[in-house]
Formats: sequence, C-alpha cells, structure tokens
Amino acid sequence: MQEALNALKAKLNEENYIADDALAATLFIAMKLNRPLLIEGAAGVGKTEVAKAAARAFGRELVRLQCYEGLDESKALYEWNYQKQLLAIQMGQGREAGMSDLFGEAYLLERPLLKSIRAEKPVVLLVDEIDKADAEFEAFLLELLSEMQVTIPEYGTVKARSLPFIVLTSNHTRPLSEALRRRCAYLYIDYPDVRREIEILRAKLPGLDEALAAQVARAAAYLRQSEKVTKKPSVAESLDWAEALMALGAQELDEDSAAQTLGFALKNNDDIREILADDEFIRTIL
Amino acid sequence: MMSLSGRYSNRCLHHGHSGGGCHECHHDCHDRQKPEDVLYDRMVRFINDLRAQGMPVGLRETGDMLTALELVGFEDRDTVRAVMRAILAGTKREQEVFDRLFGLYFVSREEFEKNRQAMAQAQAELEARRRELEETLSVNGKPIELREDLKDVYAKMPQSERDRLRDIADKFSGKMEHAPKLYEGFIRSVFMKSLLEQQMVLEDAAEGAMPLDSDADLMFRDISNFKDSEIPRAYQLIDQVTRRINGEIVARRKAAGRSAALDFRRTIRAGLSTGGALCRLKHKKRHSRRKRVVMLCDVSGSMLQFSEFAIRFIKSLSEVSDHSEIFLFSEQVQRVSPFALEDMSRFGSYARTSGVWGRGTNAGRALEAVMDVRPAVLTPHTVLIVLSDAKSVDLNRAETALSQAKRQAGGVVWMNPIPEAKWQYLRGVMRLKEHCDMVPCGTLDELARACAKLM
Repeated sequence: MQEALNALKAKLNEENYIADDALAATLFIAMKLNRPLLIEGAAGVGKTEVAKAAARAFGRELVRLQCYEGLDESKALYEWNYQKQLLAIQMGQGREAGMSDLFGEAYLLERPLLKSIRAEKPVVLLVDEIDKADAEFEAFLLELLSEMQVTIPEYGTVKARSLPFIVLTSNHTRPLSEALRRRCAYLYIDYPDVRREIEILRAKLPGLDEALAAQVARAAAYLRQSEKVTKKPSVAESLDWAEALMALGAQELDEDSAAQTLGFALKNNDDIREILADDEFIRTIL
Repeated sequence: MMSLSGRYSNRCLHHGHSGGGCHECHHDCHDRQKPEDVLYDRMVRFINDLRAQGMPVGLRETGDMLTALELVGFEDRDTVRAVMRAILAGTKREQEVFDRLFGLYFVSREEFEKNRQAMAQAQAELEARRRELEETLSVNGKPIELREDLKDVYAKMPQSERDRLRDIADKFSGKMEHAPKLYEGFIRSVFMKSLLEQQMVLEDAAEGAMPLDSDADLMFRDISNFKDSEIPRAYQLIDQVTRRINGEIVARRKAAGRSAALDFRRTIRAGLSTGGALCRLKHKKRHSRRKRVVMLCDVSGSMLQFSEFAIRFIKSLSEVSDHSEIFLFSEQVQRVSPFALEDMSRFGSYARTSGVWGRGTNAGRALEAVMDVRPAVLTPHTVLIVLSDAKSVDLNRAETALSQAKRQAGGVVWMNPIPEAKWQYLRGVMRLKEHCDMVPCGTLDELARACAKLM
C-alpha cells in the first residue's frame, strides 16, 4: 500500500507538484473510490494545481470549468445549436425527419461537463472556484457528482462513457451546501511549512540558489504569520518573488533587494510600508 | 504502525471497563473482545462522537470509509488518518474536530504499550486509594457514603489534599457524641465541597491534556489558559473566523433576497428593453435590519481577557450589527465611549484605568444601570449580550434585573466562558440561565459559533 502512495507522490513530484502524505493519501483514495475531490484553502496554495498535476501524472486530458456568478447549464453542460436548427427547419429537414430530431446528437453543443462524461477515455474534470457560482448551479451539479450522469430534458439522460475524476476547488467565499460536501472527499490545503516551500521553490524554479530559496521561504512564512500583513502572500506569490530576485541577479535576500521586490509578495502599499519598517522582518531574512 | 488496540481495548464485556481488571466484577475478566470487534466497536464509538460534535456522518460516509481502509490497510497511522479525514470531514472546522478525536481513539503501537503499562499501574493505585477511603474515612464507625465518581475523584486527589480531609475527619470525630447529626452533616459537607472542587480541577486538567497543536489548539482550548505569547495569534484567528462568518452571512442574505416577492414595476420596466416580453423577473429586496447590540462586559479580574476576545468578535462581525454600545462592569458600571474602542489594542489599558477593573461582580446592579440609561439603550430592536461567568453577588437582584432586561430588549444572550459541563456546580449560573439564553463560550470555537448564531 505504502508503495502505491509513494509511487503517486513520485509521479506528482515528476510533474513539479510537491505533495505531502495527507494529500497523496486523499488523492489516491478519492480516485480509487471514484469520489469527487473537494479542495479548499486560501488563494494561491495550489488547489488548482492538484488537478493539473493529477491530469499530467495519469496522462488524462484536463477539462476545466471556471465558475463565476451567473454560470448556468447552457455554459457548463450543453447548448442547442440554434443556428443549425433554424437552417434545418428552413431546408425542410426538420419536417421530414420529425421535429424531435432537431434535439438530436447533431444539434448538441458540448460544454465542459458533458464533454467530460462523454469522453472515450477518462479525463480529469476541474470545477474551479465552485464557491463563485450560484447555489442553484451547485444543486445542478449534484446529479453529476453522485450518479456520474446528467439529464437533458429534450434529449434524455446521458450516462458517463468513462468515469471522470472530478476535482472541485473553493476559496470558501461562501459556504458550500451540505449535499455537495457529502458527495465529495475533502482536502484542506494550508500554506506549506518552510521546508516544503523550499522544495516547491526549487522544483518550480530549477535555477534558484538553495540559500536564496530558504531565505524567501522563511520570509514568506514570517509575512503569513505577521499581524501587520492584511493580505498574506500565497505560494504563487513567493514563486513570483523568488523569480523576481533571480531576474535581478540577487544572490541573497537583503534589505535592499527586499525593498525592490517586496511588491511581488505583498499587494498592498500599507503592508509593504509596515513590513519594511519592521526590524524583526529584516532579522528574519538575514 | 497503528495499533488496533487503543483507548477502548482490553474491555470487560460485562461492564465495559478497560484495563487489567474490572472493579465491578471484582475479578480479572477474561471474556475480552476479539481484535476485529474492538476495531468495529471503536469505529462506531468514534463516529458517534463525531456526530455528537455536530459532524454529519451518514451511512454512506461510513461505508466509503471502511472500503477506503480496506484499500490502504492499517500499516501507517498517518495514512489511515488522512483517508478517514478526507471522507468524514467536510470543512476545515470538521477536520480540526476530527483530528482532536482521532488522537484520543487511535494511538500508535508504541504509545499504546506505554499507555497500557501506565494505565495498569494507575488502576492499581486507584484501587488502593479507594480501599483506603473506605477504611479510613468513616463517621460514627460507618464509611462515608459517596457516589462512585466522587470516590474516583478522592483516589486521584493529591496526597496533601487527602491528608487534609483525613485530619478534618479525625479532628471532629472526637466531638461526634455531643451532636452526632450536626457533625456528621458538617464533615460530609466539607468532603463534598472539596471533592467537587477537585472534580473541576481534574476536568480542567483533562481538557488541557488533549494532544492538539497550532491553530486547532487555540481554537479549542479554554481561553483562560492562553499564554500571553499566544494572544496575538488568537487575534489573528478571530480575524480569520469573523471574515468567514461575515462572508457566510452576506451569502445567506443574498440567497434570501432572491426569494422575496416579485417587483412588478421593475419587472415591467426591465421588459421594455426586450419589446415588452418579461424575460427578466425582478424581485423585491428583502429589507434586512441589522441588530443593535448592547454589550455588558464583566471586567472583574480574570474576565478581562474573555471580554476582550468577545468584543473583538462582535465588533468584527459588521454583518451582524451596525451599532453597538459597550458597558464595562464589576461592582460599578461604566459606559464606554464609542471612540475609546476604535482601536481594540487599547482595550486592556482602557479597562484597567477605567476604575471598574479587578473588583467583584454585581450583575444585578450593572443590569439596572443599563436599564436606567436615558435615552434608553434597551429597545425591542436591541440584543443585550452579557459577557460574564455569572459568579455574581446578590443573585436575587441579578435575577430580577435580568428578567426585566429581557422584557425591555429584543433578546438577552449571556456568553459564559465557563464550560457547560461545570454549570451544574455553580448556583449563579443555574439560576441566571433560567432568565436568558446562556451559551457556553469558553473557547474561541464556541465564541465564534455563538456570535454566528446571533444572526
């Protein structure tokens, strides 16, 4: 068993995703049980990246559905090709073949959800930022999540040809329904500790000096726990910061290089001012 | 390696006692459960405990968890935990509850062996002390009758406390012949008081012993046990939690707003852009009135820290209230200027220099003072929140004032930092909770839930 988990970690590692034991075990079991995986955590901790890395690691196609307010089934599941239907009617095809054929396979436009369950080979379906979608859309997803099928009123029920591995991500801007949570395995991704963040920085930025990576990771950890910082830097932002330092040719993170590049980690002028005046921050990075 | 035998293993089938011997059977029980039964028994207990903590664990989750465990096996405790947690816990809070209970139910093999030896030794010592109690503590030649749980408390008392009780019994046993009933009653009441106090101390120690770490630790630990160094982190946690609660409340309001009645005028106007077809229905917005909150904060000695946490919570919940009045009280009452607490970091120094800090508690006088304020601060649209442990002098006055305040205000919520399990020992709590909605707020988690419930 442990070998299978280690193999999964190694595969994710090859895709530059540094997974800890809990993440690997959760991902493994969600795939085995064919249960959707709901991932929550602060913005920028690598939630979306899990789906991308899993798709690459298992050689599956990634089908992504980005959620937003007002997203409905015509944009997520299917839409009828109205132009084609009108043409068919004008050409008399509709009358000959019967009106029901106007709602057939030929006039159906696949959107991400339908595409993912009608794919010949299993895909990874990423439903990104589900908390941004309306509660109605969340309810609409339940059939797909539990039965792996969708119902199109004019067409009938479409069962999955191949079972997609579904990953949902949420920043918890609104609470998700109990019904949706119950259908998913759950994973909370927190900010990485310093040791893991160094690994991530080194994996994503191969040319980064180890000492500089350690300094950036320590500084990011300090900024995340500091009461003075209102918008905590994410992993993506510490990567940007390290990349900016590399571009500047900085050998180490010192007071000057921090002042030049802190805007890559902190996105608020008050935060930057407060931190640059904080002696403890300077001591931490040095 | 995870041990199948843990906290509830080696259990007596007749009475459920764990450890080497069962004191109700008075012999070593040999009818032990089989390992697989122990596992299922413990899983069931664990899941019941999760449900008792408010986690919605259904049969489907239980089934999936068992299937998953068959797949991953039991070799690695961390893997088992990760797998069970992924399936049973659906939010970050549920994960924290899960971790807390998992540590109690499933221990590593090494830890189990260590615990088993310690338990066997402790069990033997407890038995010896219980025998000592029956032999030495007697009044008029009869052993003092005590409940079984109090006998256990006596057995776990420090040696100095046991000696003190024995001395009292010896000292007064000589005077028994003058007034046997009086002295018997006296000795018994001294015993009961000491034992109940000790029981509270032991419960505190048990809570503190939970193996927690970092944020989960702070969220579930008794606020009175926070170290000074942990306070800044606690403030950050309060910020995080209130941000989440505000978001949830906004989402709930938004959802509720959509389902309100149809606004014909706006629907027809919107229809003009589509040639009169009423494509987009417009709904009336539900009028939401935020509550006015009046907080009456006990700042008598140890209550200061709790009051500060609670005020931070309530003030940060901008979606709950748009206006709040704060009164500090101990024996006296003082109204706090709204500008004085703009910056909550000054709350501690403000309260200490207010002249009311650090004295006894007179809730009755404080409530009367709040009701006497003119123009009136308590109205039907106001929620009165009392932040206090309810250990007040003059309980009759407090009861009367509280029931009056309840009639004047739209609601009275009493946030009490004392854990609910201990309320039964406190007369003030038992009497005052009859007149208001008293909620336990001993931990940040409880405080957050109580504040969210204010909606």
